[in-house]
Amino acid sequence: MTAMTATVNAAGLRRDAATERRFFLSLALPSLVIVGIGAILPLFWILQQSLATARGDITLVNYTALLTNGLTWRSLLVTLELSGGTLLCCLVLGIPLAFLLASTSPRTASRLMVLVLLPLWTSILVRTYGWLVILRRDGLINDLLVGSGLVSEPVPLVYNFTGTLIGMVHYMLPIFVLPTYAAMRDIDGNVIRAAASMGASLWHCFRTVILPLAFGGIASGSVIVFVYTLGFFITPAILGGGRISPIAIRIDRTLSTLQDWGGAAAFGVFLLLIVAVLGVTALGAARLIRSKPAAD
Amino acid sequence: MPKLSQISTLILALSAAVPAWAQSVTITTAGGDYGTGMKEAMWAPAGKALGLDVRGETQSDGMAALRMQVSSGNVTTDIIHLGSGEGAQAADLGLLEPLDDTVVDQKALPSGAVSKFCYPFSSYGTVIAWNTKTYGQNGPKDWAEFWDVKKFPGRRALRNNAQDLLEAALLSQGVPPEKVYTTLSEPGGIKRAIDRLAELKPHVAVWWTSGAQSAQILKDGEADLVETWNGRAQSVKDDGGAAAYTFHSSIIGTDCLAVPKGAPHKADAMKLIAAMTSPEREAKLTDYIAYGPMNQAAYAGGKVPADKMALLATAPDNAVGVVYADAAWWAKHADEAQAAFDAMMNQ
Repeated sequence: MTAMTATVNAAGLRRDAATERRFFLSLALPSLVIVGIGAILPLFWILQQSLATARGDITLVNYTALLTNGLTWRSLLVTLELSGGTLLCCLVLGIPLAFLLASTSPRTASRLMVLVLLPLWTSILVRTYGWLVILRRDGLINDLLVGSGLVSEPVPLVYNFTGTLIGMVHYMLPIFVLPTYAAMRDIDGNVIRAAASMGASLWHCFRTVILPLAFGGIASGSVIVFVYTLGFFITPAILGGGRISPIAIRIDRTLSTLQDWGGAAAFGVFLLLIVAVLGVTALGAARLIRSKPAAD
Repeated sequence: MPKLSQISTLILALSAAVPAWAQSVTITTAGGDYGTGMKEAMWAPAGKALGLDVRGETQSDGMAALRMQVSSGNVTTDIIHLGSGEGAQAADLGLLEPLDDTVVDQKALPSGAVSKFCYPFSSYGTVIAWNTKTYGQNGPKDWAEFWDVKKFPGRRALRNNAQDLLEAALLSQGVPPEKVYTTLSEPGGIKRAIDRLAELKPHVAVWWTSGAQSAQILKDGEADLVETWNGRAQSVKDDGGAAAYTFHSSIIGTDCLAVPKGAPHKADAMKLIAAMTSPEREAKLTDYIAYGPMNQAAYAGGKVPADKMALLATAPDNAVGVVYADAAWWAKHADEAQAAFDAMMNQ
């Protein structure tokens, strides 16, 4: 009898659950449709373009041309250098910053957080041109350097790799700090106090307690920074002075200067694949490293 | 099951169809001061005179917009403003309607500029500009001196594009203006120009990508010698920048008007092109931007005031030792030239 009631109840519950799922699905439907029309459909169109000649025949010629062009691999190398460099700078600058934010009082932290987030709310174009004003030959930094007699000639800070990297780090730093800060804030203060009371130095405590506990945040921040910067266009276009040609710049070149839409579409698919492969690898590596201390 | 392209075409059509039947002729220009000038001086009064209801649209990349519209089969613009190089490329790709010569007067143009598909109406020079703080008023007289790093030591800025630079490179080696394209067409001609650019590359501080950027570089003194467009160089001077430029040995490019293949109001579009490029209307454009009329009659009879005339690359006194950019050569060799240029840039 009880068993039977349970079965009937279970069936009812299942029905309710299904109705609920359908309800939630219907709520998500508008966004799914928008993503479908706005993102997925054009993606198929790009894929189709990449496999077609100017006359519309199906061909792999765009891909063979892409993969046999030395400039493609050169631009991939520049892209990886920029993304890797940005990530490295974000790690060096962002981890201490997040640690500082996490270790001050919540009031101070929220005030400092506004400073971190402010650039995030500013248009990337405005920020990039701002850097141009600061870094150029007669800009603020060179005026100071030359004026103080530290250097006799202005230092080339912009229209090169350095300038591009500075602009990219500035853009990505808040995006890196957010998850890192969140992970560090959640660390139980008692654990740090316990380590300190057992005689761990600040550095030892940072290395063996805080970093491993904040690893999840740092790892997700790193993956976001690295993958996000693979497609960067505006910053290298403005601050690179024509010398820095990462993949996004090559795609623009193929599209607007060479008028080769098929080639540009193939390049886009190539970039998408690289992002997917590197993203999955990075996530997998992060999971592997994180699961290791637990297994110990 | 409809094909994917049909679905995307349908979506594009739906999004664009609503305004399409509301007016009789749509013209697409690049906007900015240039676009405003074209409207006020050219198409608005011409449309009024013809009794046409004309609507203006703005696209910074007219070529991309044209390709998009024609390839999706949903053409909403009747007249499109292109660079003449783009015009020749577009004609090769079959994106343009041939011009109706009975309506549009080809005889008004210099013989080298006649085009079956894209009607040239204004011109600009790619000129040598310099920082007067570095060189005073005595800047390089021609491209040979621009290349001369002993006589003019300093930082250069060039456009990040093979166009105009291949011509300048050959002029710097003493190739006469009328032989530039025959030299480029010879075997090894493009390589000769690229090698000449590679010689100058160590002295190039910035490779600019937009006209506004070239003006900024000139104004800020980021570079001492700048290859730029005459309108941009003049605007830096007007803004009080320490800059001067010369029209001598400039490379003259033209902009043109074309009718996209399958344009909804083809006949009216041809009439409007003819009316808006009358000598008076082209002369009037110089009130807004320092780009010279292509209709040669515009220079006669004082239609362009003397002070404006001095600022036009194609004014009879300025167009000395110049090269008219050959749109047909570029349409044929652009891929090869740009690829060689990019390879040089990445060395």
